[in-house]
Amino acid sequence: MTAAPRQMKLGAFLWATGHHIAAWRHPKAHVTAGIDIDHYIQLARIAEAAKFDMIFCEDAAGLREANVGIASQTSRSIGFEPISLLSALAAQTSYIGLVSTASTSYNEPYGLARTFLSLDHLSGGRAGWNLVTSASPIEAANFGSTGLRPHADRYERAREFAEVVTGLWRGKPGGASGSGHDGQSFSVRDALDLPRSPQGAPVMVQAGASDVGRDLAARTADVVFTAAQTFEEAKAFYDDLKGRLAAYGREPDDIKIMPGVAPVVAETTTQAQEKYEELQELIPDDVGVALLSSYLSISDLWRYPIDGPLPELPPSEGMQSRQALVIEQSRRDNLSIRQLARHFAGARGHWRIVGTAAQVADELQARFEGSAADGFNVMPSYFPGELDAFATLVVPELQRRGLFRKHYEGRTLRDHLGLKQPV
Amino acid sequence: MDNGATMHLAVSPFPGTAEPSSGAEPDFSHLARFVQRAEAAGLDMVIFADSAPASGSDAANRQMPFEATTMLAALATVTSRIGLVAAASTVAHQPYNLARRFASLDIISHGRAGWNATMAQAPREAANFSRPDGFSGDDFRRRTEEYIGIVQGLWNGWDADALKFDKSDGRFHDPEKMHLLDHKGEFFSVRGPLNVARSPQDTPVLVLSGLSDMDIAARTADVILLEDGPLESTKARYDDLKRCVAACGRDPGAVKVLMNVSPVTHGTAKPTVADSMEKQFRSKSCDGFNMLMPAQLSALDNFVDLVLPALRQRGLFRESYRGATLRSHLGLMVGGAA
Repeated sequence: MTAAPRQMKLGAFLWATGHHIAAWRHPKAHVTAGIDIDHYIQLARIAEAAKFDMIFCEDAAGLREANVGIASQTSRSIGFEPISLLSALAAQTSYIGLVSTASTSYNEPYGLARTFLSLDHLSGGRAGWNLVTSASPIEAANFGSTGLRPHADRYERAREFAEVVTGLWRGKPGGASGSGHDGQSFSVRDALDLPRSPQGAPVMVQAGASDVGRDLAARTADVVFTAAQTFEEAKAFYDDLKGRLAAYGREPDDIKIMPGVAPVVAETTTQAQEKYEELQELIPDDVGVALLSSYLSISDLWRYPIDGPLPELPPSEGMQSRQALVIEQSRRDNLSIRQLARHFAGARGHWRIVGTAAQVADELQARFEGSAADGFNVMPSYFPGELDAFATLVVPELQRRGLFRKHYEGRTLRDHLGLKQPV
Repeated sequence: MDNGATMHLAVSPFPGTAEPSSGAEPDFSHLARFVQRAEAAGLDMVIFADSAPASGSDAANRQMPFEATTMLAALATVTSRIGLVAAASTVAHQPYNLARRFASLDIISHGRAGWNATMAQAPREAANFSRPDGFSGDDFRRRTEEYIGIVQGLWNGWDADALKFDKSDGRFHDPEKMHLLDHKGEFFSVRGPLNVARSPQDTPVLVLSGLSDMDIAARTADVILLEDGPLESTKARYDDLKRCVAACGRDPGAVKVLMNVSPVTHGTAKPTVADSMEKQFRSKSCDGFNMLMPAQLSALDNFVDLVLPALRQRGLFRESYRGATLRSHLGLMVGGAA
């Protein structure tokens, strides 16, 4: 018997009015997305009908932008808290996986493990947790006056947090040892008061791409979400992370690597390009520069000439890997601050493909078959239109090529992703 | 036609008492049917406990294997009128996270959510939240009071008309109508604002239980849950509370007192229930009742078929819902305590 052909995994990354910073201003974007649960139920059904592996929600426990004037020109200051959102969607869907981001800096492992396990029971084994350490000082100010912890400390706390959570999901009191946990950051005495997960344990997702982040992923993650602009970057990350697994007694296939992709798809190349330009035109310069500043973890980018090059930047305590990505691109393509801001405002540093369904499928296929990705987290520019376009144009093309499922074979998220059930 | 009645009725299913489900998996659909039945009967709200039991040893026997806020979100999508209140611990959650969760639940449910906070510290709970020594009684009380103030403050961070959605002007919201909290207190420091919009009922309903004194309830609560008792003492307690509420500058009607009762025992409604509820209610010792019962359809049906018609016949309980939000069911002004 021959093994079934390897197929790609797809996430539907739902965010506010869309991933494009100016999405909410687009005539076809649903502008009240952040207060309309029926809109999200519609998106979940589009994604489930297209047989996506999962819905993916990001999260931040605070505003995205410190400057209130800039913030008021984006749709990202208000929205649903993702765990309650996904719990609501659990009752309105039957197959699709439900993955939410939650921070190890502003939660306790016992409560977080319990909440995700509850979502897992509500959904019949479709829940996943995307671990983040939170790099924003705006969030930190909502949880005490001590400010953002240094990068290394955040990851040490995250490592201990993940260890306790995975232990609790396996029915052990407070961690792997089975006799309660008394560690550097956390102490937990009891086992969870809920039965074991229908899929063994909720799926563990991670997104940190720094060296310490990759080690944490290699140790504990089932899925890794990442940002990669070029095939070479994606391939280097893929090989590096898969190469780290053996040290933790794991097989390369135990982790699914799913880079973000921001497609703009239409019937013709010209239409796709026009669609993209239409969105880009809606970005105010001050919003673009502010967003770029937040990715670079600096506050005074607006002081520099907008048509000049990016200044030299010191390393930050924020998201180190994302910062390196932005700087590299600016040097490589010789971009001005304005050009770079627009470019990143569009796809937030993720891989952008503008084209027809066949062109988008070609690009995805090349990265998938070139072993630079196990699948993709799809980041539609605006909702519901661009999710619908991917579902009705690109997904059938991938199915024709045998690259994506036509039916769900199982019921749980682990089934969809082809992951082992933990013991 | 509306009978003008003002009694409020909540139902609190005990945890761990759902009918055994047919399959091995825990059964959400059973719970959904229970809440839909309570909605069909026109009850004001369902209040869910969230007991993480003192020890994990009874986990196997627990038959509602859900954390209350996640369960409430799912229930909100399969109901349309009934209020949905979940207990959530001030030890298990940071105030910013809890305020967000309930603000979000309130939007998901179109203004039907409430938070049940308790002033009583759950034994052993703190030991699972990196507080092996727990809190002293006095610390817990002061901390909870500060916590509630933060949560209600965050819920008021966005004015009702803050969102503009103006695509052509590029103005999503009015920055003047978004307010920082800038709280710096004994136990917490929270800058705000919340990143969830204002609730359709202004703020989620705050239900307080485990009270040892009435001060905090008078200042902050929308609903309080108190134990049943002899008429003289419940009457005196009620009058005392309403005086406290007025002394805090609030309308005495802004806090509803519900008395915990167990109208169903061994699967049958007690024959004298309607009479004793009428007596307590007419003598103004409470504004309504929180009925504790197993999460079994038979128990609820028994109450709905045998007791509820008598309460309606006597003009004590309204014939149907008058509004769409939990605040409207409870006859509460929008806004709650500021």
